[in-house]
Amino acid sequence: MKISPAVQHWIVPVAVLAAWEGCGRAGVLPHYLPAPSLIAGAIIETAADGELPRAVATSLYRVSVGFVIGTGAGMLAGLGAGLMPGIRHFFDPLVAFLFAVPKIAFLPVFLLLFGLGHESKIAIIAFSCFFPVFISSRHAVLSVNPHLIWSARNMGTPAATMLFRVFVPAAAPELFSGARIGLAHCFVLLFAAELMGLQGGLGALIVDGDNAARFDLMFAGIVTFALLGFLGDRLLMGARRAVLRGQIIGTMEQFVR
Amino acid sequence: MMARALQLTARYYSIPLLLVVWQGAVASGLVESRLLPSLGGVFLALARDTGNGVLPYHTAITLARAALGFALAAVAGVPFAAAMARSALMRNLFEPIFFFGYPVPKIALFPIFTYIFGIGSPSKVAFAFLECLYPIVVTAYLGFRAIPLTLIWTAENMGAPRSTMLTRVIFPAAMPAIFTGLRIALPISIIVIVLTEMIGDSRGLGYYISVSGTRFEFASVYAAILVIGACGFVLDRALLSVRRVVLHWQRDAASTGS
Repeated sequence: MKISPAVQHWIVPVAVLAAWEGCGRAGVLPHYLPAPSLIAGAIIETAADGELPRAVATSLYRVSVGFVIGTGAGMLAGLGAGLMPGIRHFFDPLVAFLFAVPKIAFLPVFLLLFGLGHESKIAIIAFSCFFPVFISSRHAVLSVNPHLIWSARNMGTPAATMLFRVFVPAAAPELFSGARIGLAHCFVLLFAAELMGLQGGLGALIVDGDNAARFDLMFAGIVTFALLGFLGDRLLMGARRAVLRGQIIGTMEQFVR
Repeated sequence: MMARALQLTARYYSIPLLLVVWQGAVASGLVESRLLPSLGGVFLALARDTGNGVLPYHTAITLARAALGFALAAVAGVPFAAAMARSALMRNLFEPIFFFGYPVPKIALFPIFTYIFGIGSPSKVAFAFLECLYPIVVTAYLGFRAIPLTLIWTAENMGAPRSTMLTRVIFPAAMPAIFTGLRIALPISIIVIVLTEMIGDSRGLGYYISVSGTRFEFASVYAAILVIGACGFVLDRALLSVRRVVLHWQRDAASTGS
């Protein structure tokens, strides 16, 4: 018997969910693992009474503002570092040292600087997002095909046009990879900052469910958070496909998604 | 000599510059010394807690956890990636889990890990394992898939048995990709361990940072950040030199670093 690959893709997730649900119904799971149906129930319940949408809105606000600031600053500094050796030499040693440090280690400092509210979370999310975006943007500019640059220069292209018509388009695929890694960092930092700094958001919802031993609520928060991260990535990849429409043609990506 | 010194200054001026601005800001009283301790204070804290064994103790715990999670992920992930690349069934079963699961923020699962594995080392090691597994498997898998078929055909044509095929053709050809995955995963293991230690533990550098933070001993926080940065740097260099030995035939690409 031959099972088609499309069906095989679903075997493991469906089997895990079914086993989980079955064990939950049979009562053999520990109390902290509610069955998927109970988690779905908790999601619907908290969505109806407004608790979940409020937490999602808070978390989404923090992560999107932090991402925009961090990516913007990272791309600006990265493009600058790629184009000008002076800027490159300023950032390189700092980034080389700070890159390996978990940015969450700065949380105590950020909490004292910006307080317990939105600002400290946004600041640490942006701070963490900056580094991967900077590194990719810097590398992207430095690896632009020199023939493109020479040709444009030869034709007397002014500096501003060089930037927007040569460097940025040629670097765009890697700028997007940097933003993608940055976005992943944003969600990790969002979760950790909300878990430790509390004050609303999905992290606080998860902690509340944990403290009250309402594990279905805890899982509702976890599932929503995971979904949010996944959808954010999909959105960014969708934007990437729209922006890079012309550049994807002729590469493997045209066929492989 | 002079030119060399000038060149070094031009390349690394930002670190001394930052330190001078830092020291100036503290000395002039522009920033609260509570928030930004003087450089001397940071080094004093570093020396004090290194001397009395507190920092080495927490550092050893953090590094041991990170190394264990990383090693488990490497040992499990690389053969798994090879199996996924070589067998259509494995690929169809597990590819969606790795490719769709990749962008999911797995940190959200950490509270569940603390219930399953307890609050101490096991939950942190298990979580570092999960976080490292994804980049290692995905990168190695793409590496195994990208092996030129001509290499495999040539070896088969010359009658290479399956085991020789694996050890002499497939693994060497995928080795650069495997090392790329390991290099991505190594800092992740340290980040994840420090992060989870900050969320809740009584040992490790993450704990040291959060405790020092709540006591407003920011000199100690910066001292710990220095230690983590140094560890990350040294481990990355160590991995690169292992890579140079293993991939001696690929010296050119390896010596260019990233």
